[in-house]
Amino acid sequence: MKEKFARSNTLFLQYLKRDWKKIIIWILGIGLFSAAFIPAFEEIAKGQGLIGMFETLQNPAMTAMVGPTPVEAAADYTLGAMYAHEMLLFCGLFAMIIAVLHVVGHTRKEEDLGLTELVRSFQIGRQANSLAAMAETVFINILLALFIGGVMASFGADTISAQSSFLFGASIGMAGIIGAGIALVMAQMMPTSSSATGSALGLVGLLYIIRSGTDVSNVDLTMFNPMGWTYLTYPFTENNWIPLIFALIFCVVMTVIAFTLEGGRDMGASYLPQRQGRESAKKSLLSVQGLFIKLNKGVMIGWVIAFVIMGAAYGSIYGDMQTFLESNELMKQMFAHSGFSIEESFTGTIMMVMIGLVSILPIAIVNKLFAEESRLHLSQLHATKVTRGQLYWTSIGIAIFAGLIGILFASGSLGGIAISAMGDSATMDIVDFLAAGYNFLPSLLFFTGLAALALGWAPKLGKVVYAYLGYSFMLNYFGGILDLPDAFSKTAIQSWIPQLPMEEFDAPVFITIMAISIALMVLGYLGYKRRDMIEGA
Amino acid sequence: MTEIVKLQGLQKKFGKFQALSDVTFTVNAGEVVGFIGPNGAGKSTTIRALLGIIKRDAGDAEIFGKDVWKDSLEIHKRISYVPGDVALWGSLTGGEIIDLFIKLHGGGDKQKRDYLIKRFELDPKKKAKGYSKGNRQKVGLIAALSVDSDLYIFDEPTSGLDPLMEAVFQEEVEKIKQAGKAILLSSHILSEVERLADKVVIIRQGKIVETGTLDELRHLTRSTVTLVTKGDVAEMASVNGVHDFTQKDNQATFSADNQCMNDILKEATKLGVTKFESVPPTLEDLFMRHYEG
Ligand SMILES: Nc1ncnc2c1ncn2[C@@H]1O[C@H](COP(=O)(O)OP(=O)(O)O)[C@@H](O)[C@H]1O
Ligand SMILES: [Mg+2]
Repeated sequence: MKEKFARSNTLFLQYLKRDWKKIIIWILGIGLFSAAFIPAFEEIAKGQGLIGMFETLQNPAMTAMVGPTPVEAAADYTLGAMYAHEMLLFCGLFAMIIAVLHVVGHTRKEEDLGLTELVRSFQIGRQANSLAAMAETVFINILLALFIGGVMASFGADTISAQSSFLFGASIGMAGIIGAGIALVMAQMMPTSSSATGSALGLVGLLYIIRSGTDVSNVDLTMFNPMGWTYLTYPFTENNWIPLIFALIFCVVMTVIAFTLEGGRDMGASYLPQRQGRESAKKSLLSVQGLFIKLNKGVMIGWVIAFVIMGAAYGSIYGDMQTFLESNELMKQMFAHSGFSIEESFTGTIMMVMIGLVSILPIAIVNKLFAEESRLHLSQLHATKVTRGQLYWTSIGIAIFAGLIGILFASGSLGGIAISAMGDSATMDIVDFLAAGYNFLPSLLFFTGLAALALGWAPKLGKVVYAYLGYSFMLNYFGGILDLPDAFSKTAIQSWIPQLPMEEFDAPVFITIMAISIALMVLGYLGYKRRDMIEGA
Repeated sequence: MTEIVKLQGLQKKFGKFQALSDVTFTVNAGEVVGFIGPNGAGKSTTIRALLGIIKRDAGDAEIFGKDVWKDSLEIHKRISYVPGDVALWGSLTGGEIIDLFIKLHGGGDKQKRDYLIKRFELDPKKKAKGYSKGNRQKVGLIAALSVDSDLYIFDEPTSGLDPLMEAVFQEEVEKIKQAGKAILLSSHILSEVERLADKVVIIRQGKIVETGTLDELRHLTRSTVTLVTKGDVAEMASVNGVHDFTQKDNQATFSADNQCMNDILKEATKLGVTKFESVPPTLEDLFMRHYEG
C-alpha cells in the first residue's frame, strides 16, 4: 500500500512550486468573484430592492437557475440571504469546473502525454501522482475557502457575519473538492484526457440540471444531489454545516474508488474502451456545406442554448417588473419611456441588447473561415474543384441561418417565459416578441456584413468586428442613462432601428440596412476571390 | 513531349520581401521533377502560386496550357496536391477526411482508397486529433493518390513518415509515373529525389539556380576518385581538373571535374594504374555545391 504512493509528498510540493502562479490566479479569480460583490449587492438592497429581488427570484424559472432560499417572507430576506441565494450556486459551479480541468490536466493528460511514464521511472510510487494531484487540489480549495470567508467578513456589512462568511467560503471550496473527486474517477474510466474532461463536465452539468428540477418541485430531494450539498448550507440564514459533511464523505468515497480503479489498470489503459469513429464518411458530410455545418455545429448549438437561457432569464422578470422597477431608481430611468407599459419599454430595450449578443454567433462563423485558412485546414481543398465562392458563400449562408435561428430562439424564449410569467395581465403576445426580435435583423446582418468585408480584404481585422459590436452594445446599454448626443449614439448601428413594440416599424430603414449589409457581403466576396490565401503566416 | 507545367519568370512579393524573383521550369508528362532547395527558398510559395492559392506578381504560369490563376477550376479537376503540413479537422476521423477530399475532388476509386489505407497502415477510425504528424501526412497522401489525376504535386510529402512508409510512398509514385502522369515533388530529402526524379530543379532564395537531368547535372560537377599507381601518384596533383588532392603512400584521393575525366585518365595510365575508383557525385554534393558557392 505504502509503496504505491511513495514520494507523493515530494510530488505534492513539486506541484505547488510548479503551479504557484496558476494557484494565485485561481484563488484570486474565483475568490474575488465569489466574495467581492458585497458592495454591489448593498446598492441593490437599498430601498425596496430586497423585496423586489425576493419576489423576482420566487419565479420557478429563476429558482431553476440560481437555486432556492429558505426564507419564506420578503421581510426576512436580508442582504446575506440575497447574496447566498444569487451567488453561491454559480460560484460553487465555477470552482467545480476549474477543479475538474486541473485534476484531469495533472493526471490523465500527463498520462496521455507520456509524462507519467517518465515520472514513474524515478523512485516514485505507481499512484503517487494521482494522490499528489488530488492533495494539491484539496489544498487549493481549502485556501480558497479561507480566502473567500476572510474577504467577505472584512466588508463588515450588515447581516454578513464572520462565521457565515466562512461557511459560504467552505461551501465553495467543497464544491471544488467534489469536482476534483468526480474528475479523478473519470480520469480512470475514460480512454483519453479529452473524454475524461468531457464526461466529468457532462456529469457536473447533469447534476446541475437535476437540481433545477428538484429545487422547483421538492427541495428535499436536492439533498441527495452532490451539487445540492454546495448551496443547501444556506449561509447567512440557516447556516447548516451538515451538507458539507455529506460532501466530505462523498469525496472520500470517490477518491477511494478512483485509487482502486487506478490500481487495477495499466498505465494508459482505461475501463471504457476508446470510442471508434467512422471508417468512412456519411453522405451528409461529403460537400462544402456538409463539412461547414459539421465544423460549426458545436458552436451553434452552444450559443443557441445560451440564447434560450438568456431569453428565459429576462423573460422570467416580467411577472414582477412593476415591483422591481419601483424599487430601483437607476433601472426606472433606464427603461422608462412615457406612454407605454413598463413591459413594452423593457422589451424594446432588452431586445436590442439580446440581438446584439446574438450577433456574436454569425460573426464567429464568418471569422471561422479565416481561422480554417490560417490553420492550413483548407490547403488541400484549394486544389480541388471547390471554388473560393463556395467556401465564402457557404460560410456566409450558415452565418445568416445561425443569426435567424438565434433571433428565433432568443426572442421566442423571452416571449414564451414572459407571457407565462405575466399570466392574465399579459399585454403582448408571442408575435409581438418575435417581431421585436426580427426587427433587429438588419443590425445582425450588418455585423455579419462587416465580418464578411474583413474576411475578403483584411482577414486579420475580423476580430475588430467584435470590438465594434462591443462598442455598440455598450452604447445601447448605457445610452438610455447617459443622455448622449444623437450623432454619437448613431454610431451604433442599432440606434437607427426603432424599438418595437413602442415605436413604429420603419420599413425604409429596415430595407436600407439590409441592402447595405448584402452589399458589404458582395464586396467581401470580391476581395476574397482575388486575395492571397494566408496559410500559417 | 507534352508540357504539363510551364513556369516562366515567376515572381512573388510578400510586402517588401521578394519571395520569388525568377522561377522558370517545366514538367512534362510521364516525368518526375524533383524540386529541391533549403527551407525558405520558395518551394511552397511556388507551389501555392501554381495552385492559385496565392496570386503571382509577374511571369507566366500554366498547367495543361491554361493560366493557373484564371482557369484554376479547370486545372484543379485534373490535379492532386499534398501540402507539406497536412492539417486536419480534429473532430473527424482519418477515413471521413479521406472520403471528403476524394469527393470534393470529384470522385475517386474506393478500392484504391482501401488498398492505400492498408498499405500505409493507417487506422481510419481514429479521430484526427489523435494522429501524429506522420499519420496526418498519410491521410493527405492517401486522399491524393486515390484520385486519378494527370498531375500530382507533392510538397515535402514524407516529412514525419518513417522509412518504411517512405518506401511505400516511393513505390506508389513509381506506379503513377509508369502510368504516364506528371509529378512535381518538392523535397529536401535528397535520396528520395535521387531515386524518383528524372529531372531536378534547384531553387535558392527565390531563384532557380540549376535545372537538368541528374546525369546532366552530374556532368557539370565532380566525381570522387580513388587512384593507386605504380609510379609516383603525387604527379597527379598538378593535372588539370584535379582538386582537393590528398595522398597516402601510393594512394591518392581527389575530386575530378567530369569534363576533364579523359585527360585525367590519360595522365594516370602513364603512371601505371593498379586501382581506379570513381564515385559519381550524389545529389547531396550537387546541392551543397550550390549552397556553398
Ligand atoms: N504568406 C507569407 N507572408 C510573408 N512571407 C511569406 C509567406 N509565405 C512564405 N513567406 C516567406 O517566403 C519565403 C519562402 O517560403 P516557402 O516558399 O515556404 O519556402 P520553402 O517551402 O522552400 O521552405 C520564406 O522566407 C517565408 O518566410
Ligand atoms: Mg515549404
